[in-house]
Amino acid sequence: MHDGSGLIAVQNLTKQFGSVTAVQNLSFTVSPGSVTGFLGPNGAGKTTTLRMLLGLVKPTGGTATINGRPFHQLGQPGRVVGAVLEAQGFHPARSARDHLRVYAAAIGVPDAQADQVLGLVGLGTAADRKVGGFSLGMKQRLALATALLGDPQVLVLDEPANGLDPEGIAWLRTFLQSYARMGRTVLISSHLLAEVEQTVDQVVIISRGQTMFYGPLEQLRQSQQQRVLVQPSDVNALAMALRNEGVQTIEQLPDGRLAVSGVDSKHVADSALRAGVSIYGIQEEQVDLERLFFQLTSGQYAGYAPAPYQQQQQGGWA
Amino acid sequence: MGNLVQAELRKTTTTGLWWGLLIPTAVLALGWGLATGLLGQFFVDFASSSDVDEVSDFLGVSPDQWKVSLFGMARAINISTIFPMIFGAMAISGEINRRTITTTFLTAPSRMHSMLAKMLVYVLWGAIYGLVIMLFVSVGVVLTSESGQLPDAGGWAMLTLVCVLSSILMTMFGVGVGALIPNVAGTVVLLLLYFLVIENVLHGVLAYLEVPAVIGFLPNGSINGLTGSVAVDLFLSTAGVVPPEIEDVLRAIAGAGGALDWWWSGLVFLAWSGIVFAGGWAVTQAKDIT
Repeated sequence: MHDGSGLIAVQNLTKQFGSVTAVQNLSFTVSPGSVTGFLGPNGAGKTTTLRMLLGLVKPTGGTATINGRPFHQLGQPGRVVGAVLEAQGFHPARSARDHLRVYAAAIGVPDAQADQVLGLVGLGTAADRKVGGFSLGMKQRLALATALLGDPQVLVLDEPANGLDPEGIAWLRTFLQSYARMGRTVLISSHLLAEVEQTVDQVVIISRGQTMFYGPLEQLRQSQQQRVLVQPSDVNALAMALRNEGVQTIEQLPDGRLAVSGVDSKHVADSALRAGVSIYGIQEEQVDLERLFFQLTSGQYAGYAPAPYQQQQQGGWA
Repeated sequence: MGNLVQAELRKTTTTGLWWGLLIPTAVLALGWGLATGLLGQFFVDFASSSDVDEVSDFLGVSPDQWKVSLFGMARAINISTIFPMIFGAMAISGEINRRTITTTFLTAPSRMHSMLAKMLVYVLWGAIYGLVIMLFVSVGVVLTSESGQLPDAGGWAMLTLVCVLSSILMTMFGVGVGALIPNVAGTVVLLLLYFLVIENVLHGVLAYLEVPAVIGFLPNGSINGLTGSVAVDLFLSTAGVVPPEIEDVLRAIAGAGGALDWWWSGLVFLAWSGIVFAGGWAVTQAKDIT
């Protein structure tokens, strides 16, 4: 049986669909007690990875385990892991309550649990309506209710914010954070860092089927060197003064400002004062996670930038 | 396992498919039952009035005591069990089509557990369909037949048994094909084409080639043999001595040309269902659910 640790471990996971390598030698672990974001652009292999973890897709190589066991050895998987996946279907003619009662029976929990999870996701009043008439957001909530039926220790959500309105997203954020705080494991995938930035504590970033970064979000923030952007009256004088003080990473930005790395704004202002340079504007650059994310995942499916227009050379005799 | 069986049972009772297919099944069974009685009556009248007395002497009973309804009933059961087969065919292909298979596999210990639970539930449904078919065929036959042409109590019991068995086996066959070809339209069209057209053509070809014995080993031939053989046996048990040539004709009328004993036919079809289910299981087991 499984060890009850709540740990998700992915090791050297590889999946090939014919000649296409969807996931290549992927490794990471997800610990209980925090919400982990699983990030990457569309087509990076997120869904395939999650489906391998859940035993729906057979890996070409490597292992994916929950509580130390592959999915099919969990015994009663519905009580260990709940999942909301893209393209997870419902029978349109079945009511929300009937849908949940089917799977409550499969997992082996009492029928009352169906109504309880319906209330939990805010679908209590829609229990007797047929799922065929549900909006995308309601279906997403019902999928979450299904995942919660067995009161699982591990929750895996593939792009859960899809179809949810802003209120729903805010609700989901609070819900997932409190779920993780109870000592459970939450893994949620997204192709938008901004969408989950406020929800997750840890991130796994993948691109082209490979792990690009894996660790606390805070560490990712700190990995980007902070810069001071300053607009001096005399760019050259300030740059000279800073260089004399040993500051080497100075960059001139297209808008005329200087970007200084490795020192804080106070240091730059003091240097400017000593050099007799006025400062018209100064700011410490906020770390832009989105840009970091792009740097980590760039290249995949990126189109070429349009080439600048060039006049044809007409030979050297003109 | 009990949990999964209950889940699968709930899947079938929470949508309308079971009665949506049961209504045409009942109508078809009733229609065949009525037609059987009328045709039988017509045949008996014809036999009694004309100079076919020789045949009746031959069979040792007067035409009005011929249990001709048996043949029509066997045919009616064969045709009507197409519906439970379609019902079974939707079990797995329907889940793949609607993508509910993902949740099903996420809540079951293994895919094999899911499929076995499904099979058990569909065996139960096959039995229910079989009883309904028998009920409506019987009502039709009784309404339009003289009592002399109807089977006795033992005959009714035997026909009910093979009708239910036949319906269960056809449902299981459908479940297997639905797993093998995970596409609702493809599965249904293939099954209908095969059972209504392809194999009938094959039967003709085999009879022409003078190897009718092979028919009894084909899927439709064996399932027809299950009910047809019982009908012929019951007919002959009250008809005295019959030469083998006449018996062959009778078997052909009952839809059991070249068929084996009823229980042999049942085993042959069970083997077909087993092969198809094993294939469906292998496909489902290896399938990437994306």
